[in-house]
This record gives sequence, structure tokens and C-alpha cells, in this order.
Amino acid sequence: MSWSSRGLIGGWIAFVLACIVIISRAEFSTDLSAFLPRSPTPAQQLLVDQLREGVVSRQILIGIEGGTTDALAEMSRRMAGKLRRDASFVAVNNGENVGLERDRDYLWHNRYLLSPAVDSEHFTAAALRRALEGDLQLLSSSAGILARKILPQDPSGELLRLLDQLEGQAKPAMRHGVWFSKDDKRALLVVQTRSAGYDIDAQQSALARIRAIFADVAAGAGAARLLVSGPAVFSVSTRETIKRDILRFAIIATTLVSALLLVLYRSARILGLALLPVASGALAGLAAVSLGFGSVHGITLGFGVTLIGEGVDYAIYLFTQLTPGTAAGNTLDRIWPALRLGVLTSVCGFSAMLLSGFPGLAQLGLFSIAGLIVAAAVTRWVLPALLRSGFSARAVTALAPKAAFLARRAPALRPALLLAIALATLFLLLRRGPSWDDDLARLSPIPVREQALDAQLRRDLGAPDVRYLVVISASEQEAALQASEDVGASLRRLAGAGLLEGFESPATYLPSHRTQRARQAALPSADRLRENLEQAQSGLPFRPGLFQPFLDDVSHAKGQALLGRVDLQGTNLATKVDALLVRRPAGWSAMLPLRGVADAAAIAGQMGAVPGAQAVLLDLKRDAGRLYQSYRREVLKYSLSGAAAIVVLLFASLRAGRRVFDVVAPLVAAVIVTSCALLLTGHGLSIFNLVGLLLVVAVGSNYSLFFDRRVDSGTDRERTIVSLMFANLSTVIGFGVLSFSNVPVLSAIGSTVGTGAVLSLVFSAILARPDDLAARSDGS
Amino acid sequence: MISGSSLRPTLRGLLCVLAVIALACGAVQAETPAVAWDLKQLMESMRRVKTARAAFVERRYLGIVSGPLESSGTLRYDAPDRLEKHTVLPAPEDLVLAGDELTITNEAKHQRRTLALQAYPTVWAFVESIRSTLAGDLPTLHRFYNVELDGDAARWRLVLKPRDASMQAAVSEIRIVGSGNRIATIEIIEPEGDRSVMTITAEGR
Repeated sequence: MSWSSRGLIGGWIAFVLACIVIISRAEFSTDLSAFLPRSPTPAQQLLVDQLREGVVSRQILIGIEGGTTDALAEMSRRMAGKLRRDASFVAVNNGENVGLERDRDYLWHNRYLLSPAVDSEHFTAAALRRALEGDLQLLSSSAGILARKILPQDPSGELLRLLDQLEGQAKPAMRHGVWFSKDDKRALLVVQTRSAGYDIDAQQSALARIRAIFADVAAGAGAARLLVSGPAVFSVSTRETIKRDILRFAIIATTLVSALLLVLYRSARILGLALLPVASGALAGLAAVSLGFGSVHGITLGFGVTLIGEGVDYAIYLFTQLTPGTAAGNTLDRIWPALRLGVLTSVCGFSAMLLSGFPGLAQLGLFSIAGLIVAAAVTRWVLPALLRSGFSARAVTALAPKAAFLARRAPALRPALLLAIALATLFLLLRRGPSWDDDLARLSPIPVREQALDAQLRRDLGAPDVRYLVVISASEQEAALQASEDVGASLRRLAGAGLLEGFESPATYLPSHRTQRARQAALPSADRLRENLEQAQSGLPFRPGLFQPFLDDVSHAKGQALLGRVDLQGTNLATKVDALLVRRPAGWSAMLPLRGVADAAAIAGQMGAVPGAQAVLLDLKRDAGRLYQSYRREVLKYSLSGAAAIVVLLFASLRAGRRVFDVVAPLVAAVIVTSCALLLTGHGLSIFNLVGLLLVVAVGSNYSLFFDRRVDSGTDRERTIVSLMFANLSTVIGFGVLSFSNVPVLSAIGSTVGTGAVLSLVFSAILARPDDLAARSDGS
Repeated sequence: MISGSSLRPTLRGLLCVLAVIALACGAVQAETPAVAWDLKQLMESMRRVKTARAAFVERRYLGIVSGPLESSGTLRYDAPDRLEKHTVLPAPEDLVLAGDELTITNEAKHQRRTLALQAYPTVWAFVESIRSTLAGDLPTLHRFYNVELDGDAARWRLVLKPRDASMQAAVSEIRIVGSGNRIATIEIIEPEGDRSVMTITAEGR
């Protein structure tokens, strides 16, 4: 072994060790938002953040179905009872009136700071007189018994006013005192975990507790089924899916590719050598992602499976082309230009992913680029150094003549192929281009089935289908609350004009200090209030001295400490405030969900007009759709740029328009037919399919390049065809295995590239020019 | 000072009223008095009533107000489980008990509240006792109340005393006076001395 070989091998080992060190320190994440688009607006970012760590991320929706309403309600109550005693959960709600006492206590004790009615006119003699007259009516109504108890403390009816505010909100249907779906099929519960959404281990154990409690409660209740959904469920199941998928697919792909190599070479030694570039590439890819992104996403690991299929191609090209008596280095010199060009075109393809707006896709792109470059480099420089001079890999050549025969006959299919392409093109044209699947949900790594369950449970819960949301940004919590109040005042005016039905605001439960101070200032002094009250009471039948507690409470409220978030602790209102008022890295955001919006444009116009408030009206449905379309356009742009870069690269290397056409034509055909096949087998094309189509060009170009490569002899051509077949087969294994993944991004890319790769090879064979081949063979 | 627990009796009180309305409505139709008359027969005669209407005047005597507060309106019962109380004066208000839901509507204030009775176990028990009364189910009535009947078919008095402690906190006694299957008055007496008397007359009289 020469010194340079030793140097190369030493360098390679050092590189691999460095990669291992980096990877061993890497963090692995299964963060769901990585495959959501990088958010262009603060408001969208806010929603993604909420998904990651907000109250929403701690929420688990539970449905119990399969039983009579009586049985289901009983199970709901028993389950809720057990869950409430479990330390994993901070809030459990199934519609029972548990915990509402605390809400009422908060409203009752702080009614003069919370009531929107409190202003300087509220406690004048005239206003109190009107209130007392109203009280007399109230006492004779059905609410009289409540009114009688609290009247001495609250003659102006602030508590009822505050309770009315709470009443107006959407609630699930009730059966037997607990929440039910409207069709009575499911009892519903909502729980909130103690641990944050990103703490997947804790979420997993919380889910396990829920399942155990259900099993206990439902013991003997035969057909009862538990349904759980929510971000925690998604995180946990995605992690499980990814873990399972990666391991299973890595084993399957490695086994299949190894089997392929063994069939081809009948040598364990060559199998080991062929896997070296792949292994090095995979390590380099992971190390690069870890360095570039700070953490490695689980889906990136899953995507690594494709590298097994692609990376091994280079070794296959090398070993299949080796001839007895020729040094590996020489063989490589011969095939290197085509191989290098293949690597470069692939890199062009994956670069489009690297630049896309999806952090997750960018990881996949970086992983593949680093992996392929290292795999090719190891094949080029390390493998020859490891091989004895005169090493020959005796590929099983029995297949070669048959393959060559097929390849020679392939052009006979040209008319059929042209017809197929014409039909596919016509099909696409008739559909006015490929029909895009603009459902944002498809981008999610969450399987469609789980998404559907989640949507179902949310509908059941009557969780308001929040479409319109006013989002307010501010530097401080106080400023956010003040702005919420200003926007709220504007919204109330608009509601009066019939533009919307109502809205929710964090300031309803936690007014800004500004407002609380203003209300305190509006409360009259004890003497003044006593005078006003005496005047108001004259001639009414109320017992003298009855309202002393009212005088005491107002006097107390005038001097009481202002309310903060901490005062809400332990109430259901705290949950609401936390959902609507969120701390962000750069300040605070308040969200005001709107109900019954009649004229969104007019409301949006008003939001800009609220002085001092940075408020925007979000139309989640429209904005999400637009967001998706803008990302699709972006990905399309990058994909086309990637494809253009590949063509430029081919021109630069091949230097002949005709040869470039020969290489590109089969790829274009493969892309057209693959898109057509995807559309015919069901849904529209997603962004991930689009990325897959680009990869068809990037990966498929390797095959047509080799078909194009000048060959020295008939046997060389046979070897080329066999190596292409096996390289193609290994790529198809890598991507094809992924198409069985439960993770949508992996299965979309896997099925697209798998189909496209086979088609590019077949089309390359069909479109190759036999006469040309002969001419080139003669000429060289 | 008040807490949530002291707010809840509200509904209990409310349902007490409704329960009595139910009894009242059920009894509006006249029927020939039986000779050997007892509680069982009273229940039976009520059970035969499928639908009824009546007018009412209710007077509430409250410790915090001098003199009674008066309200009036109409009552309606439809077998087996629908009761309505439509107050006209001094302020309109509609109470409708249908199935296991109680809906309170105040048109003037644009308010409409629906309460699931199951959310309030005491009320739930209470409503069951209403239904069992209307259904002539004396054993169930006994489960919730100590029932005493005195007088005869021409002039009888039913005294219901809640057995459950939390019910006792809201209502100490319900006295229903009637003749035949017609109820004349319902008096609800509360532990702290407040009481209300509802006088019922067949509509149109």
C-alpha cells in the first residue's frame, strides 16, 4: 500500500471519527413544526409557537364511544375523577361543574375591577336608583333566589354581568351532565398536561396514564373505545412512527441492497467495501445537519434510508466496470467524469430542497448533498486505496447479455413511449396543468387519519372554528392588554353595527392595570356612595342598612391591589388567558378570536385605525391557503431553478446540444409520466411530490448520463447496462421502501422518486440511439 | 361574602318552584272525588292529566324587602316531561323544562340560558321526583321527600319535606293545598324564613 493510500485512508478514518463525535453530541428532535413552512408573518409564527409550547400543545382531547349515553357519561365522570387526582394533569374538563367555584370566586371578589360597567356614572344616585328598581324585578323572577343572596353586596349586579359575559361562549352539547358530541355517540373530555408539549417523554407518560385510567374505567364495558387526539398525541405518535419507520426501513433497505450486491458479486468482501461509501456518506450527512441546524430531525434520519440506495450506486458503477488486470484507479479515471457529473446533478436537485422554506426539507437537502459528495469521494479515492492492485470484482455476468439484449430491443418501444408521453401530456393539459393539492394539512407530518380524528373531536367539542383572529403585538404584557382593550372597544362598536357577533379577549378576565386603575378611580368614596345610596333607596321597600356589605366591598375594591396573572391561578379563566395572551421571544401577543364575522374586510380596515395598537386581522383559512400557495410557488421556482442548473451543468460537461437532449429527454418523459401516474392514483400533487419530481431529474440523470457515456466495447456496454440496472434497483429500493412510510413527507417523496427512477432508466434505454452507440464505439 | 356553593341553591330553589308548578298544573282538571280517598289515588288522578294550562299569581315574602313582591303569568304542562312558566308581570320571563334541560329566556334582556339538569345532582334528583309524581310513582317520590297528606279529596294538603341535606338547605317545606286534582296554592318555605305563595287558577276564570 502506497504512502498516499495510507494518507487517504488515515484521513478518511479521521473524518469518519470526527463525524461520529459530532453525531454523538447531536440533539435529535421530532418537532412537528419543522415541516410546516417557515412562517412569514409574526402571527403565523405565533400559531406555530403555540403548537410547540403553548397551552394548545398541552391539550389532549379525549372521546369515549361505543355504549349507551348513560354508560358513556358514567365513564366520562369516573375517568375525569381519576384524571383530576393524577399529578400529570393540571386541568380536566368534561362539562361537570368542577372547578367553576374558583372562577366564580375570582369574578366575585374582583367584580369592581373586572366589570366593564364601572365608570364615574355607575354609582350616582340616579344610576343606583335604576339598579335598585331592576333588583326588585329580579327578586320576583326565577333568578330571585340568587339575587336575594348577593343583593346586599352587589346591588348593581356586577357578578351577573360578568357571568353573562362567560355564558356567551360556545360550549359542547351536554348529555347527562357531561360533554357529548352532537350525535350522542361520544362523551368528550379535554385535559391539559402539566408538562410542556415539547417534553415528549412526559407527554407519552401522560397518554399512558389516560389509557390506563380508561382501561380501568371501561373494564367490563365491552365495546367502549377510547379516542385521543391533540398535539401531544401527534408528537408522541410521530416520534413512535419515525422510530419504527427508520429502524424498519433501514433494516429492509440495507438487507435488500446487501442481497442485491451479494447476488451481483457473490462476495462478502465486496459487499463490505460497497457499503463503506454509503456509511461514510450517512455519517457525514448527519454531522453536516447537526452542525448546520443544531439538531437532527427524526424525519431526516428516515430520509437517510434513500442514501443507502443512492450512495451504493457509485460503488456498483466502480465494481461492475472493474476489469481483470486493470487497476481500480484506472477504471475510476474512466468512469469518473460521468460519475462526477451524476453527483453534481444530484446536488443541484437537493440544493432546491436546501433553499426551500421548510426547515425540515432543508435538512433533508443538506443531508443528501453532504452524504452523496462524501459517498462519491470515498468511492473515488478511498476504495481504490483499499483495493489491491489487480483486484477484480467478478460481477455475475450471466445477466449481462440478456440485459444488453433487452436494452438493444428497447428502442422498439419508442412509438409506444411517445404515445404514452403524448397521452400523459394531453391529460395534464386537459387538467390545465397538474392539479395542486393545496391542503395545508398534507404538509403536516401527521397522518391523515389522525388529523381527521382531531378535526372530528374539535367539531364535537364545538371548539369554535376559529377562522378570524385579531392578533396584537406589544412589547409588554400591560401594553398588550391595553391594546386588547382598545381593539375590543372598536370591535364592540363594529358588533353594534352588525359586522360581527362577538369576540373573546384576554382583557375580559385580566384587564390592564390602566383600566383597573381607572375603575378604582371611578368608584366613589365611602361617604359619597352612602349618600347616593340613601337618595336612591328612598321610597323603595328595601330594609334599612341592607346594603352595608355593598358599601364595605366598594370601599375595599377602591384600595385593593391590582390584579395580575397570578390572581387567576387555579381557575379555568387562567387557561383562557394563557391561550389568548402569550409571551413571545420579542414581547407579547394577544389574540382575540372573533365570532360570527359578517364583513371581514371592514373589520380588517378598522384594525389598522386603532391608535397605538399593532393589530392585524388574520383569516386563518384564507391566509393558510395563501401561505401554502406561496410556498408551492417558491418550491416550484427552486425546483425549476434546480432543473435548469442541471441542464446548464450537462451543457457544460457534454458540450453538445444533442447529447444534452439525449440525457434530458428520458428524464422529462419520466417526470411527465410520473406526475400523470400520481394524479391518476388519487390525490393532487403536494409540495413534497413536487420536490420528488425534481429528485427524479436529479437522480435519473445519472442513468441517462451513463447511457450516454461513450463506451469502448460491447462488453463495456453490457457491463454499463448491468451496473445501471443494479444501481437503479438499489435507488428504487431506497426510495421505494420510504413510500410505505406513515410519515407523509417521506411516503410522498419515496413514491414519487421510486416511480420516477424506474421510468428514467427504462425510458433512457428506450430512447438511447443504437446506431449512435455503434458509431461512437467505432469512433473511439 | 359569597362563594360558588352558596350560588348553587339558586337552581335548587328554582326547581322547587318548577316541581310545584308541575303538581299544580297536573291538578287543574277537575275530576269526581273518589270515596275512599288517599295519597295513592291523588297520584293516580294526577297521572291521568296529559295537558293543562293555568294562570298564577306568586307572592314572595323576603326578609330583605318589606311587603310581598308579586308576579303573575301562565303555566302549562304537557305529559310526560314538559313544563312551562311564562311570567308576564312585572317583567316577562319564560322558563321551559323539557326533558332534562331547563331553558330560561328573557326576551327583554336578549338572554337565553339552557341548563343541563344532570350538572346539578340535587336538582336532578328533584326533577326525577317531579316526574315520578306526575307519573304517579309514589315510591320514587318517597325516595326524595317525606310526604304527608291530610284533609280529604274535597280539601287536601300535601306537605313535602326534602330528605336530602343539601335540599334541606334550600327548602324546608313545600305545602300544596288543593281540592280534587286541582291545586289551589303552593307554598314554599325556606330555612331562613323567606317564603313564597303561588295561587293558581284555571285559565279564563
